This record gives sequence, C-alpha cells and structure tokens, in this order.
Amino acid sequence: MNQTLETTQAQRDAVTDADVTLIVGLEVHVQLDTQSKLFCNCSTAYGADANTQTCPVCTGMPGTLPVINQRALKLAIKTGLALNCKIANYTKWDRKNYFYPDLPKGYQISQFDKPICGEGHLTISDAKGAFETRDIQIERAHLEEDAGKSIHDETGAQKPSKIDLNRTGTPLLEIVTKPDLRSAEEAKAFLTELKLILTYIDVSDCNMQEGSLRCDANVNLHIKVDGEKIATPIAEVKNLNSFRAAERAIGYEAERQLRVWKKDGLGIADAPKQTRGWDDANQKTTKSREKEDAADYRYFPDPDLIAVETTDEEINAIGSTIEYLPSKLRTELMESYGLEAYDTEVIVSQGIGVVTYYKTVADFLTKSASGSKSPGKTASNWVAQEVLRYLNEQNCAIGDYPISGDQLGELLARIAKGDFDQTRGKDVLAQMLENRADLEAAIEKLGIKAVDSGEVEALCQQIIDENQGVIEQIKGGKVQAVGSLIGKAKKLNPNINPNLVKETILKQIGI
Amino acid sequence: MQIEQLSAAELVKRIGTGELTAAQCTDHFLGKIRDKNDDNGAFLAQCDEQAADAAKQIDASIAAGKSPGPLAGLPVAVKDGICTAGITTTAGSKMLSEFVPPYDATIVSRLKDAGAIVIGKTNMDEFAMGSSNENSAFHPAKNPWNHDHVPGGSSGGSATAVAAAMAPVAIGSDTGGSIRQPASFCGITGLKPTYGRVSRYGLIAFASSLDQIGPMTRSAEDCALVMQTLAGHDKNDSTSAPVDVADYMAALEKPLSGLKVGICKQHFEEGLGEEVRASVNDAIDVLKTLGASTVEIELPYTQYGIAAYYVIAPCEASSNLSRFDGVRYTNRAAAENLEEMYSKTRAEFFGEEVKKRIMLGTHALSSGYYDAYYLKASKVRRMIKNDYDKAFESVDLILGPTVPTTAFKFNQHAADPLAMYLADIYTVAANLSGVPAISIPCGFDSAGLPVGLQLQARRFDEATLLQAAHQYQTQTDWHQRSPQS
Amino acid sequence: MSNLAQNVAKLARIDLPDDKAEAVQEDLEKVLKYVQQLEALELPEDIEPFFGAIESVNAIRTDEAQPSYPREEILSNAPDSDGQFYKVPSVFEQS
Repeated sequence: MNQTLETTQAQRDAVTDADVTLIVGLEVHVQLDTQSKLFCNCSTAYGADANTQTCPVCTGMPGTLPVINQRALKLAIKTGLALNCKIANYTKWDRKNYFYPDLPKGYQISQFDKPICGEGHLTISDAKGAFETRDIQIERAHLEEDAGKSIHDETGAQKPSKIDLNRTGTPLLEIVTKPDLRSAEEAKAFLTELKLILTYIDVSDCNMQEGSLRCDANVNLHIKVDGEKIATPIAEVKNLNSFRAAERAIGYEAERQLRVWKKDGLGIADAPKQTRGWDDANQKTTKSREKEDAADYRYFPDPDLIAVETTDEEINAIGSTIEYLPSKLRTELMESYGLEAYDTEVIVSQGIGVVTYYKTVADFLTKSASGSKSPGKTASNWVAQEVLRYLNEQNCAIGDYPISGDQLGELLARIAKGDFDQTRGKDVLAQMLENRADLEAAIEKLGIKAVDSGEVEALCQQIIDENQGVIEQIKGGKVQAVGSLIGKAKKLNPNINPNLVKETILKQIGI
Repeated sequence: MQIEQLSAAELVKRIGTGELTAAQCTDHFLGKIRDKNDDNGAFLAQCDEQAADAAKQIDASIAAGKSPGPLAGLPVAVKDGICTAGITTTAGSKMLSEFVPPYDATIVSRLKDAGAIVIGKTNMDEFAMGSSNENSAFHPAKNPWNHDHVPGGSSGGSATAVAAAMAPVAIGSDTGGSIRQPASFCGITGLKPTYGRVSRYGLIAFASSLDQIGPMTRSAEDCALVMQTLAGHDKNDSTSAPVDVADYMAALEKPLSGLKVGICKQHFEEGLGEEVRASVNDAIDVLKTLGASTVEIELPYTQYGIAAYYVIAPCEASSNLSRFDGVRYTNRAAAENLEEMYSKTRAEFFGEEVKKRIMLGTHALSSGYYDAYYLKASKVRRMIKNDYDKAFESVDLILGPTVPTTAFKFNQHAADPLAMYLADIYTVAANLSGVPAISIPCGFDSAGLPVGLQLQARRFDEATLLQAAHQYQTQTDWHQRSPQS
Repeated sequence: MSNLAQNVAKLARIDLPDDKAEAVQEDLEKVLKYVQQLEALELPEDIEPFFGAIESVNAIRTDEAQPSYPREEILSNAPDSDGQFYKVPSVFEQS
C-alpha cells in the first residue's frame, strides 16, 4: 500500500472499475436477550414510557456501582462459540470515555484489550452463486453497555434535546469483522447469515426495528494506479438499520468514494476517518452533522469491576447448549434429505421451527412405505410452497400452523400411494386448514374415495364412446389431445386418478 | 460524666438498658452541633428531623423489648461524600449542592439496620480531593485543638466532629490518607480498612481503586465496635471482598506478646518532624513493654508512592467525575448549546483543585501518554504491593508516623501544592497496596497539636490493627484528651 | 506542551478562558514534572501492572429484572426535565 502516492488527474481518469477493490469491515451491535440490564436489575423490555426503566445505577448516579449480569456473559460466550471464536478464559472491563447526554456516566463500560470473544469466522455463500463461498474473519466480539436515546429537534430551531435512559445499560455484544468483505452483496450475506445464527442459538430477538441488531460499516477503496495500490479515506457509515440499507449504503459509498477520489485524489493518509449516516429517504450517505473531536476515548481498566474467569469446562458446558446451527442443518438437509442448495436455503433461512417441521414431514413420508421416490424433495416442495405461503398470508409462526408435520406427511403419503392426485391433495390441505379438520375428515368432506380399476375402465370406455373425434386425432398421432379427455373424466368423477385415465384410454384404443 | 464524654460502646450499653434514651442522646449531640458548628464548620448539614424520628423508633423498639441492634441509638456523623436517601449529599462540591440521593449507601443502610442514627453530614474537601479541608466548596472545617490550623482532609469534618465531641462516631473515606491524616491532626482514631472490606456502594467516587470507607472514633474500641457493622461483603459492589469478618471486639483483649512490628527506615528519614519522631519512638517503647518486638524492614518502592498516587488517582477521578455534566443531578450553567453547557457547568461548579486533578488525569490517560503515566504508575503500584507482601512475611504490623508533621495552618501550602501532597507521604502506600491501616493519637507537639501513629497490617487483618491500637490505648491516655473548643 | 492546558480542558469539557490558561498550565506542569520521576524508574521487565486493589474475580449477579425507580424520583434531581425526559440544550451548534 502506498500511503503518500500523489496521482495526476490523467492517472485518476484512467482508472476503471477493474482497478478498484471495495474494502468493507462491519461492526454489528447485537442486543442480548436478557431480562435485566448488563450492570443493574432494570428491565430491558422494549417500548416502555421514557425513563421508567431506570435506577440510580443505570442513570450513573454518584456512588453507584455496576455488577455484571451472568446471563449476558453466557450469551456472549454462546455467540462466540457459534462464530468459531476463541473464548477468553480471562476477560476484563474498560471504560471508554466520552461526553454525550445519553451516556450517563460520561463513559461506556466496554472491553478494550481482553474481549470475551477473540478471533473467529463466519462462512458466507450465495445459493445463486453471486460470489464464492468463503470465510469472513471475525476480529473479536466484546460486551458493552448500550447508551440511552436522544431525541433531537430536527427543525433547525435549536430546541432542547430530550433524553430517555431506558435503553441505557442494555447488554450489547459488538461483533467486529476484519475488513474482509469485498462487495455490498457479501456484506448483506454476512449480516443475513449472522442474524440467522443468532436466531438459531437464541441469544437475541434480532429485531432491527427495535434496534436489537444494529450495524456500522467501515468502507473504503483500494485502487490500483500504475502498479501501485492506493487506499481512499475510510468512512464509517452508521445508522444502518436494515440489511437493505447496509447493502445500499455500502454500494453508495463505493460509488461516492471513487467519484470523490477521481476529483481530489486524497488518500487515507490525507483525510481522517469520516463518520457518515445513511439517509434512507434520499438513498445516500451524508456527513455527520455533529461536531467531532478527534476521538480520544482514554480507555483504561474500569476500577469498579473485577475480571471474569471462565474455565474450559464452563465454556464447553455453554457450547453444549447450542443445539442447532444453520451450517450443520444445511449439510444435513442436503446429505440426508437429498435437497439441492436452493431448496435447503429456503427451509433453513426460515429458522429452526420450519426446519424441524420439514424434517417431521419428510421423515413421515420416508417411513410411510408409500413408494414416494423422493420424499425429501416432495416434503420440501410442500413446505416451501404451501406451508410458507400460509404463514406469510396469516403472518404467523410455524408454531401456529394448524396442521402437524405428521398430518402433512400422511397427506403426502396418500398422494404418493395414488389415493388421489396432487391437485386433489391441495384441496384436502385447504379443507384441513379451513375447517381445522383432520386428514380423514377432510377427505371424507370432499367425497374423495378410491376408485377401483373396474370403475376406471368403465368410465374410460364411456369417454371413448362419447368422444370419437378426439380419439381419431389421438390415433392420428396427436397423443397430447388425451388431455382434454382427462378433464372430462375428472368432471365425471373428481376422485379419478388422471394418470390412470390416460394410461387406460390409450390402452383401450390400442396405442 | 457528660454524655459526650462517654464512649460509643458505653452509649450503646446505656441506651440498651434504658439508662439513657436514644432521643436524649441524639438531642444532646444535635445540640452540640448547633453550639459549635458556626465556629468549627465540621458539618455541612445536620439531620434534626430524621434523627429525631429514628431515635423515637429505637426507643420504641427498646421499650417493646425488641433487640435493638449492636449500635442501637448511637449517633453517627457521615461524611458528605456518602449518599444518604432524602438528605442532601454534596461531596463538598457546588456541583452537587442540590443533590438529594434517592438511595442510601450500603454502609448507611448497615448502620441504620444496626440501630445507629445519622445526625449529620460532615464537611470535606471537594470530592475528597485535599488534605486540609480548605477545598470544601462551602467553608473549611477547623481543627478543634486550634482553629488557626487545618483539621486535615479530606475527612476533616468527620475528624473535627469527633474531636470536638459533636458526634461520638463519624464515618470517613480514605483514598490516600483521608481518614488517617485528619485523625492524626485532630487526635482521634481513624481506620482505613483493607480495600474490599467495606462496601463502596454509595460512596461518591474519587479514585475507585483506592477509596475505602472507614470509622473515625475516639478509641480503638469504638472503632472496632463500628467496624463490626461496616465490614462485610456487599453484592452491589463488585470490588467488595467475599471474606469472612473477624470478631473485632473479641480481638481487642488479646495480649501483644509475640507480635512482630516492622519499622520502616524510610518513614524516619528527612522530612519527618522532630516532635513527631519523638512521639512515635515513645510509642514503639510502649508497644515493646506490651510484649511486641520490632524488626527493621524495607519498603523501597514506597518512596514512589506519592508520584504513582498523583497519576492513578487523577486518572480515575477524571473518568469518575465525567458524570457531573449538567444533565441529570448536578447544577447547570446557562448555555446556548450542549458543548457550552458541559464546559460552563464544569468550569463554574467544580473548584480549582478538582479541575486541576481532572485535567491531570485526562492528560495522563490521553492518546500517547497512557503508557508513560497510567501504565507505569500501575506497575510501580505492583512493586509497592510486592514490598508489602514481602514485609508481611516477617512482621505482623508496620509502624510509623501517620503524617510527617502536626496540623499545619490554613493557607500554609497555598503557594506550593506539592508540599501539601507530601502530607500523604506515609499514608498513600496503604491505598495503593490495599492493606488496612489505622492512625491513633500518640502525643502532642509543643504547640499542643496531636501527633498520630500509623499501624498497617496484612490484608483483612484489621483485627490485629485494632488489637494493637487498643492495647496501646490501655497504656496511654492521648486518645482521652479533649480540646478546649 | 505549550497548549497542554487548553487541549486537556477541551477534552475534559472544562471551559478555560485564555487569561487563565497560563496559570493552569504552570500548575499542571509542576505536578507532571514531579510524577515524571516514574518514567526514569527502571522496573523488572515482566512486572504486571496492578490496576485494582483487589485481585479476586467473578462478582456476578443473576439475570433478574426488578422494579425500577419511580420516574419522578429519578428525574427529581435533574436541572431540566419535562416530567418524562431529561432536557438538554441542542446538541447541534448554531451554524
């Protein structure tokens, strides 16, 4: 990297997209799912009236002292293990000093040089192959307390700001990646996978609207100029409160930084790190309005807290509480259930509830001796299309789906056995959902009965007799015309198996 | 005998038997405060109503035959840097002149639960930064032995209150000598417990890793009595030690035979006043007659104690005092915008010494200076601790003067703040290393000002400190002398 | 070191008028000069800093939400509040 290379306008104009590499590192703040705050017993529940979830400790009243929340520690370790991090046997607390009205003590209790989670990695991949599967390195993950909320007057009239300290002291795990991400899509994939993992291991509700998952991105460009590599000044983009916002903000920054650099040629050594915010309404990043000092946080060990030691046994015990990880379930669905990557992703991305449901359906179908040729795939189709559509329409979770996995498995088994066809099967499912009926009741209500072979032959003969014109066409080589006859057969008897009708007609007319 | 001349132990006994009511006792001391406070400024507030209510309850409880608690009815003066629910707590600062805590410090709850009655809040150097009480934002407390002299600091108000018999017992806090130095200057007994022995929850922090709350009394016996209530683990203070509390009262009567007392050469070198030296040497002889033997020891790194202290304490203070920002519970200066509110509030309501120490600490922690100042000082601190650990392998106590001099005059050190800082030269090492230390009166200088003797012990061995102090006090009467005013 | 007082005062959010800066600077330098004796002090290389006066570990509490303080009690000490929020002068500077 050349820190001081000066470039000419001509050199900069000659730079093409191929010379530019986007460099992105993410800092993700995850609110851990605890009942009480990190250092006091106030509730962390979201949405209470302003300043009703505070006490002398979290408002930083003189004389008060912090005591660490055990569950926050456990959840941090659990997350670290899921992210393949080295867990620290010894971790301590440091103060990050800065003044802000929603930071009551004038410092944030955080972790500086001995974070609870050390280096780790998270694998990202794209089922559609937009980028190659690879490991994104995680630098560290540390525990810290959240600040409160400032409500600023945005009218420009310099009215007072209002401060709500309910959120102050809520436990956060800050996960910091190395600058390993190379595109906005990769960044989005990282965040999506991270959120999925956090949801699977049940450490956070990851509700982005409520701020349980927040993301900042450090973005700059490495540009090749005549064999030398130049870095543009780093922008830290804050306020990324959706994955889409993160993706777009990073994309925007890539474009903006190239544009600015082509104009001014300033490199990383020429300009300080800039804080920018994502303006969702205008789809652009803007320079932070607040005046900033060169940050000097004066970190030092918090003398009000003592170190935490965790043995390997304790860490292993926490690790054993991780039941499911998306990566393991993907492998299982592909290897044991024969699913393709895309179908696997559809199921796994829905969370452990849907995965478990899917497995119940597929397992039932496999064991049913129904003769289903690809029970895994059949179950995945039904879950992905029918079940997920219902959950979406009803805006409910899999736990609220009215039909058990075994019931759906039985339905699929009956279809596989040839009791009725897939279309009829969907009618049955609709009937079950509509009337909260069990499978047999739904079948009976729809009047579905097995049709014996004598009946099929009689019905086919009737159709042949009544549709001689079509039969002639078929005999003349237009075999697909049999389709219209199948329709007629279904009108005569909705329970009849269309494949069987086709086979029988063709046999009877000697084709 | 006048009520104010009775020991705390005697007061509790008489109240328990009904010979004296808590109300009478409380009234008596509140009256003393009213009589003397205009002259000596020991108190920033007196709690007439709350104290009277509490006394009434104690008396009712005793009348009902209930167990009144080990300190039932005992009036206690509490340093104003310790939070008391519903009672203004200023820490000696204009910043907090209107601050009424909604909670009691752990030690205040413990005292109340034991039946003690808070009668007032004592004067102090602002945020405990000072050795003379001249840094009180309100008015200085005066040394009861001579009003032209300082009572010491920062717990000068507590020392004055006990020495002037305005309270039988006071609570102080000690960051670099703030209990022991005023105890020495005022001729009373003051104990800085082992770090972690007494909960800091509710003590407005100066330097969190050094601060410790402790009792200030007339005798070692009273000190033991109060310490029994103060000591113990507190789940609200992570730095509070989960270590069992000894029976301090039982330890008092043990003879000193076999006790090894370390004498540190450095404590008797240049800078030590001759009259102080003589009194301390006499005290050594008394302890020897009680059966103790002396051993010369070395604490080579303690000579860097003041330098390490004046890095570490300001660093921690600069961060601890960031919360005083004009938003939640302090006064606020008029301002157009947020930045102005911060800088004007902090300029207007902090005193000069406090601002200076905040700036020192801010500088020492700032980018590029951390290693040279804070980190280096913390390493020196380790060396000092190691010195103590080594010394206590061969001795049970370390003995020396508490302060190189007796109480100095007001304004004496105005021109040279460093000279004032050196008043803590013998006391800071106990804070840096965490060991317990006590100051007891051991004589008077020719001007009639008290001299203090410091004893230091192994961590969590307050029992031996109190034992030696009490045994010494059985042979001497320095602690029983009272000032005229 | 010439701007030490002003820089540090700014970082510490303490208004320091120009006419006072020099005196404060002198005062700070006196103490700094004294404590700088530590810099020259040679210590064993492997010496660990001692940050807190207690070296035990694991003071931890159970995760349990307890009732918070009444809002009026928390806000009662605030120099400015509307009964719901703390109020502070605008964060933004007049532009």
